[in-house]
Amino acid sequence: MAKTIIDVHNVSKIYNPKTVPVKAVQHVHLHIEEGEFVALVGPSGSGKSTLLNMMGGLDEPTTGSVVIDGVEITSLKENKLIDFRLHNIGFVFQSFNLIPVLTAKENIGFVLQLQNISKKEREKRVMDLLREVDLEEKENSKPGELSGGQQQRVAVARALASNPKIVLADEPTANLDSKSAGNLLDIMAKLNKEEKITFLFSTHDMRVIKKARRVITLVDGKIDSDVQQIPS
Amino acid sequence: MLLQIAWRNIWRNKTRSFVVICSIIIGLWAGVFMLSFSWGLYKNNIDDTVFKQLSHIQVHHPLFKEEVESKYSISNTIEILKQLQLNENVASASSRIITTGMITSPTTASGIKIYGINTLSEEKQIGLHENVRQGTYFKSGKENEILIGEKLAKKLKIKVKSKVVLTFTDIKSDMVSAAFRVGGLYKSKNISLDGVNVFVHQYHLRQLLGLDATETNEIAILLKNEAALDSIKKYTAGLVSNGEVEDWKELSPELGMIIESFNMYTYIITGIILLALTFGIVNTMLMSVLERIRELGMLMAIGLNKRKIFFMIMLETLYLTLIGCPVGLLIGWLSVNFLGKYGINISMFSEGLASYGFSSIIYPSLDNEKYVIVAVMCFITALLAAIYPAYKALQLNPSEAIRNI
Repeated sequence: MAKTIIDVHNVSKIYNPKTVPVKAVQHVHLHIEEGEFVALVGPSGSGKSTLLNMMGGLDEPTTGSVVIDGVEITSLKENKLIDFRLHNIGFVFQSFNLIPVLTAKENIGFVLQLQNISKKEREKRVMDLLREVDLEEKENSKPGELSGGQQQRVAVARALASNPKIVLADEPTANLDSKSAGNLLDIMAKLNKEEKITFLFSTHDMRVIKKARRVITLVDGKIDSDVQQIPS
Repeated sequence: MLLQIAWRNIWRNKTRSFVVICSIIIGLWAGVFMLSFSWGLYKNNIDDTVFKQLSHIQVHHPLFKEEVESKYSISNTIEILKQLQLNENVASASSRIITTGMITSPTTASGIKIYGINTLSEEKQIGLHENVRQGTYFKSGKENEILIGEKLAKKLKIKVKSKVVLTFTDIKSDMVSAAFRVGGLYKSKNISLDGVNVFVHQYHLRQLLGLDATETNEIAILLKNEAALDSIKKYTAGLVSNGEVEDWKELSPELGMIIESFNMYTYIITGIILLALTFGIVNTMLMSVLERIRELGMLMAIGLNKRKIFFMIMLETLYLTLIGCPVGLLIGWLSVNFLGKYGINISMFSEGLASYGFSSIIYPSLDNEKYVIVAVMCFITALLAAIYPAYKALQLNPSEAIRNI
């Protein structure tokens, strides 16, 4: 039996509790096992991104707890949480969010440097990752010199740089054309299969949903359905 | 890599960084210029006072300062002067007989201070001959020639060759009156003194006062180098048996105060300029932070802790200052050196300034120590100014920041 990597226990998130309360997520219970490839779907405002952010320790639940790989991140102090994210969670954002002044190589290496990894080891890992996302020849290009798809592949490589157990991707294909989105999903599916990295996407994109082995649907901040499927 | 990111970040918006760097440069230049200009103004005043009025050291009878009467004299003056002139650190030394009295013209009268001078040695001592505007400097050969200030001449409604009568008391406290012929009118840089000081031949005044041939009321010593001030002061004290030896700072304590107040000025002027600079830096860095909210959120999300975010923003400001500060100081130093050589003519204000003893041409100058103070203050200000924008960056919530458009 696979190990539970993410355990979301009775999590709720209410924005503006004192003025105009908005219940973004309500009493969500969720277990995600190691190596899963999960799509979190639902209409806009259903709470997908909020739930994803809480699972990544970027947002604090109003009630409930999130346990990642046995660590209750909702009780961690800020700096401990940042450190936990650095070593355990990779993020891919909708708008690429690379550091614009750094090259592709430097963007990936930045995370490794934050982990105090030696220069030699860093360089090897960066080149391996660039090869993995098929961007070896763009190592010295800055984000502004890359296409949207290439930037998102760099973002994936960066998310994987620290050897995370989980990669959380918030609408990663939203700004990509079909071909780029397809490439990106293939890379992520391959990494999931080969390296057993857990991927969790929040998405509207049918291409992503079709690739997922588990699809969780959120409606009005609550889990509406949670189904396993055979990816196409 | 934070050093690298901070460095590259400042060049993301070149215009904005250029504006900040320019404001640092202009601020520092203005600070250096203001300080050097005021110091030039005061230094001119100090130099004028030392070289054109007081000299570096003066010797008086101990009671003379309390009561300016010629009976309080120093004896053995000729021998003292001879010894002083032999000293290698002494540029010149001269004696003066001084008394107060009244000057009367055909129309009016005025209170004055009468200096009995050795006309030749005073040329070297205070360059009195250079100030003569009308007439001549004791060229008539007559013992009753008098040199008076233009201001006093105007008040007395007299001109060159006019006759005036001086009235004063001799050493026995008897009233003495003597007629003098105006040989020349002078104008010094200190107009207030021009209305009071008059100069006559020493030997003639000595006769009128009844002083002995070796007695005078003041010995003035001009040094070749001010560094020798203390040693010459001691040396002079050893030569004079009944005199009080004082340097220019003791004789004119207001000059000492000028120097002290200038040091205070250094901080005030620099502080005001840097305060203006602070607002510029706060504004720019705050804009820079607010423009990068999403990026800062992303950095926090991927594992950059808040201490490092703070450090990065501070570094960006430090870099801007590191570029602007040396350039500003260099331009300031060049300006001070250039203007220190050729001077700034402020003759349009010279009448007003002269009444305070200031010259119409100002030669800006500034000690190296002041450049260091300005630079240090600039760095401290820049870093303090960066704290608020950096603090704002720390307040960001990564999930909200990432969603920021």
